[in-house]
This record gives sequence, C-alpha cells and structure tokens, in this order.
Amino acid sequence: MAYFIQLVIEGLATGSIYGALALAIVLVNRATGLINFAQGGMAVLSTFVAYALFNAGAPLPLAILGAVVFAFVLGAAIERVIVRPFERGDPDTAVVVTIGLFVLVGGIAAFFFGYEPRQFPSFFGLETLNLGGVFVSLRSLGTIVVLAVVVVLLQLLFRGTKLGLAMRAVADNPQSASLSGLPVSRLLMIGWGLASVLGVVAGVLVAPQLFVSPGMLDFVLVYALAAAILGGLDSPLGAVVAAWFIGVIENLAGAYIEFIGNDLKIAVPFLVMIVILIVRPQGLFGRKVVVRV
Amino acid sequence: MMNFRNAGRISGVVATGAIAALLVTGCSRGGDAGGDETNAPSPGITDTTLSLGISSPLSGPTAGPGSCSVAGLNTYLEAKNADGGFEFGDGNTREVTLTYLDDVYDPAKAVSNFRQLVDDGIFAYVGALGTPTNAAILPIAQEEEVPQVLLITGATMFSSNQEENPYTFGLLPTYYSEGEAFGELLVGRDEAITVATLAQNDDYGDDYLAGFEAAIEGSDVEIVASATYEPSDPTLDSQVTELAASGADALLSAVSVTPLQVGVLTKAQSLGWTPEIFLPSNTSTPATVVVPGNGAAYPAVYSTSLTKVPVSPAFAEDEDVIAYNEAFAQYGASIAANYTPHCAWSYAEGAILEQAFLGMTEPTRENFLTALHSIEDFQAPLLLDGITVNTTDPTLPAIQGLTLVQFNGTGYGPVQ
Amino acid sequence: MNTLSKLSANLWVRVAFGVVVAAVLMVAPLISSKFVNYQLGLIAVFAVAILGLNIVMGYAGQVSLGQSAFLGLGAYIAAYFVTADLPIPDELRLPVSLLLCAIIPAAVGLVVALAAARLRGLALAMVTIALPIIGIPLAKRFREFTGGSQGTTVSWLRAPDWTEGILENDQWRYYVVVVIAVLMFVLARNLVRGRMGRAFRIVKENEAVAVAMGISPYRYKVLAFTIASMFGGVAGFMYLGVVQYTSPETLSFHTSINMVAAMVIGGSASILGTVLGAIYFVLVPNLANEINPSLTALFSGAILLAVLFLAPGGVVSLPRRISQVARAVARRRGTATPQNPSDPAPASVTTRPESTEKNKGKRQGQ
Repeated sequence: MAYFIQLVIEGLATGSIYGALALAIVLVNRATGLINFAQGGMAVLSTFVAYALFNAGAPLPLAILGAVVFAFVLGAAIERVIVRPFERGDPDTAVVVTIGLFVLVGGIAAFFFGYEPRQFPSFFGLETLNLGGVFVSLRSLGTIVVLAVVVVLLQLLFRGTKLGLAMRAVADNPQSASLSGLPVSRLLMIGWGLASVLGVVAGVLVAPQLFVSPGMLDFVLVYALAAAILGGLDSPLGAVVAAWFIGVIENLAGAYIEFIGNDLKIAVPFLVMIVILIVRPQGLFGRKVVVRV
Repeated sequence: MMNFRNAGRISGVVATGAIAALLVTGCSRGGDAGGDETNAPSPGITDTTLSLGISSPLSGPTAGPGSCSVAGLNTYLEAKNADGGFEFGDGNTREVTLTYLDDVYDPAKAVSNFRQLVDDGIFAYVGALGTPTNAAILPIAQEEEVPQVLLITGATMFSSNQEENPYTFGLLPTYYSEGEAFGELLVGRDEAITVATLAQNDDYGDDYLAGFEAAIEGSDVEIVASATYEPSDPTLDSQVTELAASGADALLSAVSVTPLQVGVLTKAQSLGWTPEIFLPSNTSTPATVVVPGNGAAYPAVYSTSLTKVPVSPAFAEDEDVIAYNEAFAQYGASIAANYTPHCAWSYAEGAILEQAFLGMTEPTRENFLTALHSIEDFQAPLLLDGITVNTTDPTLPAIQGLTLVQFNGTGYGPVQ
Repeated sequence: MNTLSKLSANLWVRVAFGVVVAAVLMVAPLISSKFVNYQLGLIAVFAVAILGLNIVMGYAGQVSLGQSAFLGLGAYIAAYFVTADLPIPDELRLPVSLLLCAIIPAAVGLVVALAAARLRGLALAMVTIALPIIGIPLAKRFREFTGGSQGTTVSWLRAPDWTEGILENDQWRYYVVVVIAVLMFVLARNLVRGRMGRAFRIVKENEAVAVAMGISPYRYKVLAFTIASMFGGVAGFMYLGVVQYTSPETLSFHTSINMVAAMVIGGSASILGTVLGAIYFVLVPNLANEINPSLTALFSGAILLAVLFLAPGGVVSLPRRISQVARAVARRRGTATPQNPSDPAPASVTTRPESTEKNKGKRQGQ
C-alpha cells in the first residue's frame, strides 16, 4: 500500500512539472489563440538568467525575481516583434513561426551557456519528509503547492478582474475588442508576458531536478501539450488536473502492468487521452465549441 | 489564375537553381576508394599535409561529450602542428588537420556528413562519438574503404568483428567490460549479494548488463530487481522507487545522462535505501554527479576510470596534465567549454594516431591501418598508469584496460 | 503584360522547361559525387514524405504531427522484407516491399484516422503526436523485427548486374528513388486537381458547407489521412534505399515537426512548394554546418524565421511577394497602379533593396 501511495505521490510531482508548463501554454492560447511551441525554450532561457544572476552572487529569491522580469519582457517583445505579423494569418504558419522560435531560442541559450546541464538550487531545500512510510521531498510538495496557488490566481485573473476579462475579449474577437476601445496590442503583449512568467516559474521549479540546459523542457513540452489539450485548452485548472492525471497514470501503469514496463509506460497516458478525447472532444474541462453556420 | 502559374514557373526556376548549385559544388565524379596500386597515395595526404574528418553531436543533449570528442583531439593535433608537425615513417613531416561537423546525434545526418567529408577528400574518419551514428556509417566506410577508427563509443559491435569490418574499430573499453569489471568485484567477495539494475533501454544499457551478468554467472551474486529508462525521461524517480522496494545490497546504475544519474543518487537515499552503487565511467565525475548527488551517503560508490582528470587538483602536478591544460586553453576551449572525460579520451586518441603515423611507410589508407593495428603497450598521455594501448587484437578496441576506483569523498581512489 | 507571362502561357515553352528539368535530373547523378547523389536522394525521400503531409495538412487542413511515424514504419517494413527469410523470389523482393510499404502504413493511418478524424484541430494534433511517441518504444521493444535500439543496416538496392560498368550503387539508388518520387508526385497532382482535391479544399474551408454539398467531412478527412500515411510509408522505403540504415530515431517527433516547418516554408497546399520544402529540409542543416558547426541550432532557427518573415506563404509565394513589394514601392513613389484585391500580406511589408533577376516577376496589376 505504501508503495502504491509512493507511486501516486511521485506521479503528482512529475505531473506538476508538466502542469507548470501546460499553464503557460493555456495562457498563450487564451490570449492569442496560438499554440506556442517555443514556450519551453523561452522558459529555459529565462531560467538561465536566474542561474546567471544566482551565480553572480544574488540571493536566490532576487535571482528568480530578476528572471521573472526578464521573462515578462521577453514574452511581450517576442509577441510584438516576431509573432504579431502572423497572428491573423494562416494558423499553420504561426505554429511554424513558434517552431522556428523554439530552435532559435534554444540556440541562443546554448550560445551563451553551452549544452552542459547546470545545477540549480532548490527554492525549497533538499529535505525529504517521511510520512508513515511514504517519502515526499519538500521540493515536490512545494512544486505541487505553488502550482495549485498559480491555478487559483489564474482563475481569479480571468474570471474576476477587468484585465482578465479584457484579455478574453481580445482573444475571442479582436476586432470588436478594438472597436470597444480596448488596447489590443498591449493586451496581447501582456498575455504573452504573463505566459512567459508562468514558464519561468515552471523552469525554476523543475531546474533543481532536471538541471538547466537548453533542452531541459523539450520532452516536458510534449507532456505539457497533452495535458493542456486534454484539460481543454481554455482551462488552467483542467490543464493541471490533466497533467497530474498523466503523471499518476504513467507511473501506475509502468509499475503494475507487467507487459508495459518502463519503456511503454509513456504510451498509456496518450492512449487514455485519445479515448477520452474521442468520447469528449472538448477535453475534460473545456467548453463545447459550437460553430454557427 | 495567372498568378499561381507564373509563381509556379518561377519557383521551378528557383528549385532547379538550388539543385544546380548543389551539383556544381559536388560536380566531381572522381575515382572511388584510393588507388589500386599500393604506391598511389590515398586522398587526403600529400607530402606535407594529412587531413582527418569527424562528425559528432555538437548541439543538443549530447553536445557536451560530442564537443569534447573534437576538442581533445584538436588540441593534441594543433599543439603538435605548432611544434613542427607529425613525423611519419616515410621520412616526411606533415601537418595534420581536422575538419569537424555537427550531426546532432542523427544517423542520417551523420551519414551525410561522412559522405561530405569523404567527398572533400579526408584521409581518415576518426574519433566520432555516438553509437547509432557510427553504426549507420560502418557499412559505408567499408564500401568506400575509408578508415573509421578510434571511435568514441563503448559499443561492442564496432570492435568485435574487425575481420569483417577491417576499416572500423573503437577506442574505448566496451560497456560490456565495464559491467564485467563490476561483476567481478562483487564475485570476488565470495558472499551472497543481491543486486538491482537500472539500465538505459538500448545497447548501452544492454552491453553493461550483459557483461555484468556474464561475470556473476554461477556465483552467489544475484539480480533481484531490474528497471530500464529512456534517455528522454525527465526523471527516474519511479524506477528508483521500484528498485528500492527490493532492498538490494548493490545497485548497478547504467545511466548515461548526468542529471538523471544525480537524480538516482538523491532519490535512493531519500527513500532510505543506501546500496553500494556502480556508476559508468561517463556519469561518474565527482563535481557534476557524485557530490551533487550526495554520494557520501552511500557505503561505497564505484566506477571505472581510464584517464587522469585534468580538472582535478589531484593530478595538478602531473606533467601530461599540465601540458594538456596549457594546450587545451589555446586549441580546445573554443570548441568545448566544459570538461567531460571525452576531452581526455580524445586527447589520448591524438597520441595514438601519432604512433600510427610513426609507423606509416607509405601514404595509403591501408598502410595507415596496418600501422594503427601494430601498436603494443603504448602509454598514451593522460591514461592512468597501468592502462596501455594495444591495437593488435582484431576483436578488441584500442584501449582495453579498466581500473576500478572508489569514491573517497572528494575524488576517486583505489578500491578499499 | 510582361514577357514571362506570355512565355509561360506558351505550351511549347512549358514543355521545353519540363524537358530541361527532366534532362538535368537524369544526367545529374552521372557527373556528381556520391555525396551529392546522397543529398539529392534524401531530397526525393523527404519530398514524398512532405507531399503526404501537404495533402492532409495543406490541402485538407488537418494537423498532422506524426508523419515521421509512417516514414519510420515504411523504413522498417522495407528493412524487414528485404532481408527476412521469406519465400519470395529475389527479383520480386523490391516491388513487394514497395507495395507493402504503401499498404501497411496506409492501413495503420486508416485505423488511426477512423478514430481521430472526429476530433478537431488540436485534439487531432495530439493524437498524431502520440504516434511517434508510442512508436519509438514499440520499435525498441520488437527487436526481432526491428533490430532494437541499435537499428538495422541493410546493403540494398545495389546496382543490378546488367548495369555492370555503367552505373554504380549510388547512381542506381538515385534513379530508383527519383523514379518513385516522380510517380508519387504525378499521383498527388492528379489527386489534388481532381474531385478529391476540390472536396479536400471545401472541407478545409468550411465543414458545414461541405455537408450542405453532400460531402462527408469525416470520410474525406479519413481519406486524406490514409493517403498521407501511404506517402509516408513509401518515403520510408525510399529512405532505407538512400540511407541504408534505420533505427527508432527515424520516427522521432523532432523529424515530424521539422517536416511541418519545411512544408510551410516551401509553401503549403502547393505541389512545387513541397519540393522547395524538401530542399530546405535537407540543405539548411548543411548550410548551418558550413557557417559554424558549433552553432547549428542558432543559425537553423534564424534562417527559418527569416524565410517566414520574407515569405509567409512559403518560398513558392516569393515571386508574388516580390511583385507585391515592387508595387508597394511604386505606389509610394506615386506611380498609379491598380491595387491587388486580396493580399494575405502580413502587417509589415518590408521593402527589399534589390531583386535583380527576380524582377521578372514584377506585375503591373491584374
């Protein structure tokens, strides 16, 4: 039984890694209707900034703060300069632009910092708690808690503030929003800036375990995309719940189903996801999309 | 619609133009593999120069080791060139140059790079890093009769069959022999020991396991739990949890990705499981793996070692190390910013090539291979005392010896 | 009306152009080095793979990020059937393999599409992403069939005895692969020009309209996906012929993404754009290697973005873009030119300082 709980806890912790990045993807999608393949890369570049600041002597919270500022500016700038020209055009082209960004940002990170994985200190320290035979690291707990807090904040932002409402209006119908006097350009930039901040939060949370390197979030991105889509692309809560679900299912399948083992366990969450999506195409928490003819 | 058709025609011109450019640059249907007469020189060698080629991953997750596979070799070559050049057995002194390309660890790209290098006229292809990449090149090297030698990989397939693949063999002791060495250490204790294994799900892991299993066969050492992982896995926590449930006395952790290996070390102890641990040579560096993973929590951390560690203070007085560090700062640092053991290995490789050149009496690839395979008991710089180069066995790589070492809190020392 | 338009309209000119291209393609391998033939062969391989992708994504508008899985599957099928101990006479091995490389991946694509075609946009994308993700560990698992993670090397498509002395291996491979590519392109061209292509376009534009016209979106999506998978499988056969090696890495998700990028860069929903995309896919990494082998990611990404900025509709739309820019410049100078009605131009039109021989494309309005 303890083994089962241990696996579940570990699944939640790994799922939190996916969920953190999934939130950023959901936010970008809500703000500009795009899937940003470069989300992970941007997060990593910002995490490198935190690494550099920390290594230059800044205390960790300050280094992270500096990275957050950098991430916001980076996100806003990228939206304005690189992505904006493609937002109203062919969506495939926009996606490929983010793919190009993904490669470029990775290359820039490698240019400044190289490919060797770098150690990053854990904000929550290194201890492990022993709760009745189940071992949970403070870092995992901290990640899960931070994630939950961020989800709540995001829900509040979108449901309860004028800014959130404005952002949703812009994403839904930019022409009407503009006619209503909303500063569309600024809102788009803020959307990407915020998403980028979410990305660096994800990066800083997982860096102690994954080590900072240009490719740190490459594979996490695939899981994050799956979680975002499974959760229904416009629901932050859905993305995180889906991410946790993916993490736990993967672990349990790998440990308990002999046939699957460690190598095929990655297939399980995807297969389950396919089944769920066929039954419920809008995802677990998404709104049903009705197209009026 | 006129627009599209014209656009089509013009783009057709563009397409043909691009292909034409490609053809012009490669427009030389020259002779194939070297000359038929033994005296006609092979491509890539003149009286004063010799050119070598290498394709390794210079970007992506394996870029660290890949860059080092180039940097160390380049350091040795350039330092010697600056010193006057390499002496050859035919009386000439030549400058040896190295052309390197990035293959991002993709076999198709590696084949493309290999063909390009051969097209550009290299004499030999040396020291490339990677198993699938070199595997893809292997048959082509035989067909084109281009030496593909001193490869930076421990996979057995490259060295075990030199009768069939005379143009190819590896530099490093095989992963099989590393696993075997660990197994022999445990067997030598003459007691019942339970072992858990964690291995990468490919030949790297398979070779380790095969060697280990061969060594413990028939003894009281038993494998009680096994797990595998993919290099793309973000964490190995669940595998470690699985293995910890067995409570085994020892853990063979054939993990080739540094952050994952650190994760294994931290996770196992956090679960209260502290077995003896065996680390493979390429993920055993104290500064980047054992210390961050708090290796001191374990009763013993073993690994194998091949070379002196130039970045470690323990070897600061060694004259080979001093020469390496000086030369590397000038010729290697721009290629590889961080040290991995591959830098030292490829540096030693340069010295082995030098030995082969000394034995070359004719400027042909076949003669080069003969000379390369005649090296015995050569103490290459940076190799640990007692480990020598012996290339005369057609089933083994250039370096076969391994020293088992144990972590002593700051670095590695002899096994207690 | 400029000379080029007049020329293109002339049937004889078009035929002559076609003959020149064909001649170049036929003579090329005889004078080029093995490396160049290898590159040209790879271009043919990825042209076919990207062509399949274009059919399902460019023409039918369904996102597919899993084309590499079909490429890999085709390569593995070819590797198995060419080397396995089966009661097939040697001369028939190649055609049988090619046929199976078309049929089996198409069947897999069909099954996947039957389930997934009801999904929209990103959910469908996710299903396609799952294909390489699940495919790679499967390829490693079934090692008797695939050679495991080590991959399979073949020595295959050797120049047959009757070409002894005339053709070498790499030239023979080039010809086989290019012939297959040409056949696939002809097939694709007929598909997209005919009823099927029109149906795809309508389904992509507006599914409700399609239903109103009696076209079942579901059925055509499944069809598009199946065709794309078939093309992917054939490309896999060609891949094995050119590279002579395959491993689980052939199915990598990374390759899928790069193919989508190449498709858009070449020009989606365009047969010619596919060829340009394939050229981009194969040659740009070499270009990046030439600039600086240690910074290939930086330059690849920069080149990709630069191309998209200059020609968002893909390289195939470059002549049109240049004429738009030329017109914009002319307008700014005050020359009266009628405006071109619907230009899918991005928000910022950059002025190009020069475009010498490409000025042929300048049009003075419709």
